[in-house]
Amino acid sequence: MPRDEFWNPYAAPEAPRRRLLGLAAVLGLLVLWSAVAASGLVSPSKLPAPWDVVAAFGYLAWHDGQSMLLTATLWSVGRLLVAGVLVIMIGIPIGIVMGAAPQVNAALSPLVDPFRSAPVVALLPILVMWMGIGEAMKIAFLFIGAVVYLIPMVRDAIQAVPQSYWIGARDLGATPWECIQRAVIPLAMPRIADAVIVAFSVMWTYITVAEYVNAREGLGQLIQNARRFSAWDQVFAGIIVIIALALATYQFMVWLKRRLYPWETQQ
Amino acid sequence: MNAPAPASPATNSVSVVLQDIVQEYPAPAGGVTRVIDRVSLSFDQPGINMLLGPSGCGKSTLLHMLGGVRPMGSATPSSGRVLIDGVECHGAHDDSVMVFQRYANRPDLSVFENVAFPFRLQLWRKRVPEGEWRKRVADMLAAVGLSDKAALRPAQLSGGQNQRVALARALVLRPRILLMDEPFGALDAQTREEMQLLLIELYRTWPCLVVFVTHDVTEALTLGDRVIVLSTQPARVADDFAISEARPRSAAWQRSPQAQAFAERVLSQLHQASPGKGQVRVTV
Repeated sequence: MPRDEFWNPYAAPEAPRRRLLGLAAVLGLLVLWSAVAASGLVSPSKLPAPWDVVAAFGYLAWHDGQSMLLTATLWSVGRLLVAGVLVIMIGIPIGIVMGAAPQVNAALSPLVDPFRSAPVVALLPILVMWMGIGEAMKIAFLFIGAVVYLIPMVRDAIQAVPQSYWIGARDLGATPWECIQRAVIPLAMPRIADAVIVAFSVMWTYITVAEYVNAREGLGQLIQNARRFSAWDQVFAGIIVIIALALATYQFMVWLKRRLYPWETQQ
Repeated sequence: MNAPAPASPATNSVSVVLQDIVQEYPAPAGGVTRVIDRVSLSFDQPGINMLLGPSGCGKSTLLHMLGGVRPMGSATPSSGRVLIDGVECHGAHDDSVMVFQRYANRPDLSVFENVAFPFRLQLWRKRVPEGEWRKRVADMLAAVGLSDKAALRPAQLSGGQNQRVALARALVLRPRILLMDEPFGALDAQTREEMQLLLIELYRTWPCLVVFVTHDVTEALTLGDRVIVLSTQPARVADDFAISEARPRSAAWQRSPQAQAFAERVLSQLHQASPGKGQVRVTV
């Protein structure tokens, strides 16, 4: 590798080399983890060995004619999807109206913006008090956790569309609302899609919290349950499954966004 | 070019009158700066009218008053009236379409969809039935030479091709007033010349009242039936004359004593009206 390609943010390596470097790092971490576990320096009750985690994964995936992992994953994914649909159907219109009408933004932003840095997790007991310990509470928690990120991002996406497109449509005889509907929203869509992608990432990070209280099913409950019995290998397996699912969701949504808005990267 | 026969002047006739237009902005040091000073002009028939003046003289502001979108946040004009067909005009006018210098083509739409975009709006859906606008868009793409590029997106076109799309989107509406805000200013010399010839051809097929802003003396003399010279700081009408030479005007005409005399006249008027201020461009 030539020297001036190392300290050079503009010379990204080719895809095969990139994959190789990423894989090497993951393998390196696994080797390190295995070495520490095999050395006996750290007690298995604090750090389970990778092979124990793999065994735990196998046990969770198939045991006694049923797959605890699959059931838990389906419950978690189901909750996430319901909350996600609500986030999209409620959050995007609010964000669009705030971005398109500065007076609505002036009125609503003091109500919305502070929640971005609010301790959403601290809302959980309040939600339990209001909504009980059933599904509604879990969905509401995921919804609130994600929508407070999504609304400001959608608003910013609308406001980032250059004014020239609004003026151009207006000059052609569009009503102000038509300018928003026919010009501004279509041009904001790639960034709105980014907001949805972030919302789903946020919901994956909150899923364990949502399933903390009185869940009988779900990945959060699975981890919670394993922790109660100090089955750390199962806790690790569960966390890795959540990370893998979050990553898969992200990859899928980025792929979908590129298919839906191919023009964005051509600009 | 498979274009319909020229529309009869009667259906196209339009009257645009500027009366005593004054434009002032608050000055940083207090008080006001007068940018446009008592400009009165009238246009009453199809023709290519060039608004020629130095960069930043206010000609673009003036152009936007002729049925374009007015800027937000300041009263435009500060005083004076704009009449279109005798009716005072306060903003975007349905019969007036603008072609901007920086092409406002939509990156998310194909060339066809860009030209057809106005027909997604209520105003034009009501005015033009679908069968007709589809034919108009196809004819217009042929007229600007982009039929084979209809499915491409603006990012896949050159600057000149993008400006053809913008021109097509404006003319597909058969506007009675076509406002052009230095539309070819960002193009290289050769493309600019091609676009000027295209405009002449399109104008012959679809004549209308064209008001064309430029700071290029040569462009004004190449295109204009009428050249209105604006001084700068503030803008006043420094000169206003007609050119009867038929278009397209040959390079030989550009070098003729008549054309040279026009150019010298423009430059001396500008020099007298606003000595030492602003720049115009002469490309011959």
